[in-house]
Amino acid sequence: MSLVSKKCESISLLESNRDEIIPNNVTPDDVLKFNKITDTYLCSPDANVYDIDFTRFKIRDLETGTVLFEIAKPPTDFGVDNEGAEEVPEEPLDPNAGRFVRYQFTPQFLKLKTVGATVEFTVGARPVNHFRMIEKHFFRDTLLKTFDFEFGFCIPFSRNTCEHIYEFPSLPPNLVEEMIAAPFETCSDSFYFVDNHLVMHNKADYAYNGGINN
Amino acid sequence: MGFLTILKKLRQKEKEMRILMLGLDNAGKTTILKRFNGEPIDTISPTLGFNIKTLEHRGYKLNIWDVGGQKSLRSYWKNYFESTDGVAWVVDSADARRLSDCAKELHSLLREERLAGATLLVLANKADLPGALTLQEIREALDLDSIKTHHWRILSCSAVTGENLLDGMDWMLDDIASRIFTLD
Repeated sequence: MSLVSKKCESISLLESNRDEIIPNNVTPDDVLKFNKITDTYLCSPDANVYDIDFTRFKIRDLETGTVLFEIAKPPTDFGVDNEGAEEVPEEPLDPNAGRFVRYQFTPQFLKLKTVGATVEFTVGARPVNHFRMIEKHFFRDTLLKTFDFEFGFCIPFSRNTCEHIYEFPSLPPNLVEEMIAAPFETCSDSFYFVDNHLVMHNKADYAYNGGINN
Repeated sequence: MGFLTILKKLRQKEKEMRILMLGLDNAGKTTILKRFNGEPIDTISPTLGFNIKTLEHRGYKLNIWDVGGQKSLRSYWKNYFESTDGVAWVVDSADARRLSDCAKELHSLLREERLAGATLLVLANKADLPGALTLQEIREALDLDSIKTHHWRILSCSAVTGENLLDGMDWMLDDIASRIFTLD
């Protein structure tokens, strides 16, 4: 059974050219209260003064052990050999490249029971204190799930992973149908705080109609 | 939101446990963690930071932290002590040469104030390897019987065969639960 119809691509948002300075005093409490997806990124890419870099996303099905989805930064970015580097994106000048991921799944994805979602990230020369992730998933204006997790301290120049293993939220059948029928109207905002200061904001959107002929 | 709902939320919060996996480098901490969570263990490289898993097991919400054991990383271990309920100390049973090093690190850990209440599970890993020391030899080398400050237990295990991993984890959870969830 194929759950992923197509590999995801990292693309930039259409409005990514608006590069105005956004006043950033967003707090964790603020984003916990959001009841819809944000229209813009709430911090500039420059806010990431700790050089936190997400290098891998992976989703697996715990029932079968199958890896459903995996995307890793090309090894060239790790300073490793250049092998298999054909996926290197060629538009390095877009400041918002890498802040957005598009996922395309088949309808079966919404039937999974237990899922493990892994992120891998590296940090730069500075120690990171109170690193916290808040991630909110919406379908249109319906909140589907909130993750709120404190990584705490990250060692300078470290490579770290975190896997959340969780029961897939049970969604009403009519909502599932709507989500399948409305590709990319399921969205998520991921906010990353260091010492309660917003340092990164990533977005993703999701389609569940893979393999269905429109 | 009714009172019952609030109670239930508190309850859920209480059912959280934080487990810290430590030990010398190459002891097999990450392999144990992966094995425990049903992941392939054929390509594991040294941990240069941490690996966290959050999962539900027997109704508890576990946050397991596996922090790299290389010498240069050990001075950072203290950053992960806060709120730790249980320490899984992983030992390479076949590494007799570094066992005294291992004992030294363990005992300095046990002197840490922030780990004062934590349950200690010693996992004598790689017990399936030829040349592995016996459980008794490891128990003596680590001077475990001198530990009066923590609840502790030692088990031999193998991340490769999976032997005793679940038993060890379950013992630790029971011990923590009897300590902190007394109102059940």
